[in-house]
Amino acid sequence: MKLLMIDDDTGLCELLSEYLSTQGFEVQSVHDGAQGLKLAQSNDYALILLDVMLPTLDGFEVLKQLRQTKLTPVIMLTAKGEDFDRIFGLELGADDYIPKPFNHRELLARVKAITRRIEHINSLGVTNTNKLLVNGVTINLGAREALINEHTLTLTGTEYEILALLCKNASEVVSKEQISEEVLGRRLASFDRSIDMHVSNIRKKIAEHIKTERIKTMRGTGYVFIQGE
Amino acid sequence: MFSFKANKPSAFYWLKHPQHYLFFKIFTWFWVTIIGTVTALIFFSNIGALNLVSNEPLQGPIEKNLAYTAKSIERSAFKHKRSLNSILSHPRLSKRKLLYLSAEQSEDSLTNKTVPANIDLSLLNFTKNMSPQVVFTEQYQAFGPVQLTLPEGTFYLYEIDINNQPPLFIRLKLMPGWIKISIAISASLILSFLFSRNLIAPINSLKKAAVKLSSGDLSARATISANRKDELGVLGRDFNSMANQLELLISSQKRLLADISHELRSPLTRLKMATGLAQMQANEASQPYLVRIEKEANQLDKMIADVLQVSRLEAKSQTLSLQKQSLQVIVEHVLNDAQFEAKQCNKQLTISGDTKVTINCDEALIASALGNLLRNAIKYANNTINIKLSHADTVHIEICDDGPGVPNNQLDKLCEPFFRQSNARDRVSGGTGLGLAIAKNAITAHNGTLVLSNKDQGGLCANITLPIIKE
Repeated sequence: MKLLMIDDDTGLCELLSEYLSTQGFEVQSVHDGAQGLKLAQSNDYALILLDVMLPTLDGFEVLKQLRQTKLTPVIMLTAKGEDFDRIFGLELGADDYIPKPFNHRELLARVKAITRRIEHINSLGVTNTNKLLVNGVTINLGAREALINEHTLTLTGTEYEILALLCKNASEVVSKEQISEEVLGRRLASFDRSIDMHVSNIRKKIAEHIKTERIKTMRGTGYVFIQGE
Repeated sequence: MFSFKANKPSAFYWLKHPQHYLFFKIFTWFWVTIIGTVTALIFFSNIGALNLVSNEPLQGPIEKNLAYTAKSIERSAFKHKRSLNSILSHPRLSKRKLLYLSAEQSEDSLTNKTVPANIDLSLLNFTKNMSPQVVFTEQYQAFGPVQLTLPEGTFYLYEIDINNQPPLFIRLKLMPGWIKISIAISASLILSFLFSRNLIAPINSLKKAAVKLSSGDLSARATISANRKDELGVLGRDFNSMANQLELLISSQKRLLADISHELRSPLTRLKMATGLAQMQANEASQPYLVRIEKEANQLDKMIADVLQVSRLEAKSQTLSLQKQSLQVIVEHVLNDAQFEAKQCNKQLTISGDTKVTINCDEALIASALGNLLRNAIKYANNTINIKLSHADTVHIEICDDGPGVPNNQLDKLCEPFFRQSNARDRVSGGTGLGLAIAKNAITAHNGTLVLSNKDQGGLCANITLPIIKE
């Protein structure tokens, strides 16, 4: 499975390639933003590891431009404590983030959580034509896409996973912890707003097509996908 | 650095102890001096001004005019053989100013008009042998003498100009005594006040700036007018440039700390990664060392994160993601973790009261502040940690341990970054020396207060207050 790492720390890139290659990943690394963006746009990677501070184009700019054409999963490498970076990255459509300096096991877990989905599609193939229709939203489980009135929602992998999870459990409260564990493959840290950010992105994308609210926030517990008007 | 408390005197302290204020000293000195001077002046003018006479030589048209008058009197007397009395009563002269003809014998002296009773013309006798003069007395001015040689004998001619309006100082003298005194007092009072205030204002401004500066507000400056050129002006400007220098030094030192910490992260990330790789390949024997390396790297990571957090909070550059939150949710979350930690250490955590209020806060920051305080309490407690929660106008959270407490003189320093008590507070249990600094700064950033104190029966108490959003 091919990963792209965009980070100006060449030493880290080497170590990470070596480590991930032992785990069955092939890592290509570039050290500046513009070059990274070009590669990301012209190739299909399973995942992109994207640093925030980069020469030529910063990580946010790379992500913003990439998202105009591609939905390749992106994990942002943010500096620990910079809450703003984290939230901004998720808002721009990053699938997850990992604060630097990270632990190798932590990184591997997140990489695996996201690439697992792709493996999952590959094993099933597009032959799976199971569909889920809930309150005007169609979830095409085979093609991993969500539609509203025949319009495809441009969701990132993580956003799709969250929406699918909510639709499967329509009318039931799905806790943030459950979402985090099932979709991001990790325990939700205290006061982590990642799930809220993803849900808010999904809401915005749904709102482009239907006005009525589909996902309801249950304060302090989680989210519910509303079934029936 | 954090908790400088100035002893604020009561509002009327200055009334009770004016001697403690330079302002009142200077004020009193000026006032007494001015009052003394004015009183002395009044006193001496009362004695001396009664028969005040002065003179200066007469020149110009008045002298010529006077000489002409003298000639015409002589001509009338000799040519027309008219008596002196008839000459003087002639309308041409009697319409004029008062003329005084002083004879050798004062009883022979004459005037052309009746002289008011208060006019003492005998004062002019001393000028008889002089050239024409202007003579000033209190009641009149006299011009003369010009010698007249007449059949009746020798006379000296003076033209007298009676002062219809008494001069200013005479008018002043005529005022009732109490008015004079009250004017003198109030004028000197106002002048002394303005003068002393002008002297004291820059000193007060300096004092305020110094207090603010020492309490950690490095942007405090004394307000000294640039036009002030005296010693106080120079002192004020010197103080301000000192404060500038201080601010620059401290802020660059803090920035350096933040920059270093930030830069340390890249090698630390690589270190962690390399350790991970080594762990995968190492044999059994070296495994414990690699675990140790990882543990130390994590400790380093935490310290760097804490340093950055403190410096961001101190520099007020932390972007607080403020949200209306139920404090109870945050508190319960933190207490659950603390409960678990306390159990691990075989210590008892007792909680009373609640904090079911809404506050505007960055929940992660408040949680880290409370967490740090609780961890500290658990660390130093002997057996129990008491937590009291209450709310009225503000939320109040009290966290008390039954440990050894802290010497009173070190209480203020506890919240300074990396402060270590000289005895026994070591890093064994994994603290970074920044927990209390983070707590203090995080609470201050939410407009709250953190006060640390010793309990009478031993043990340290942390008192937190936070503002509530009124529903």
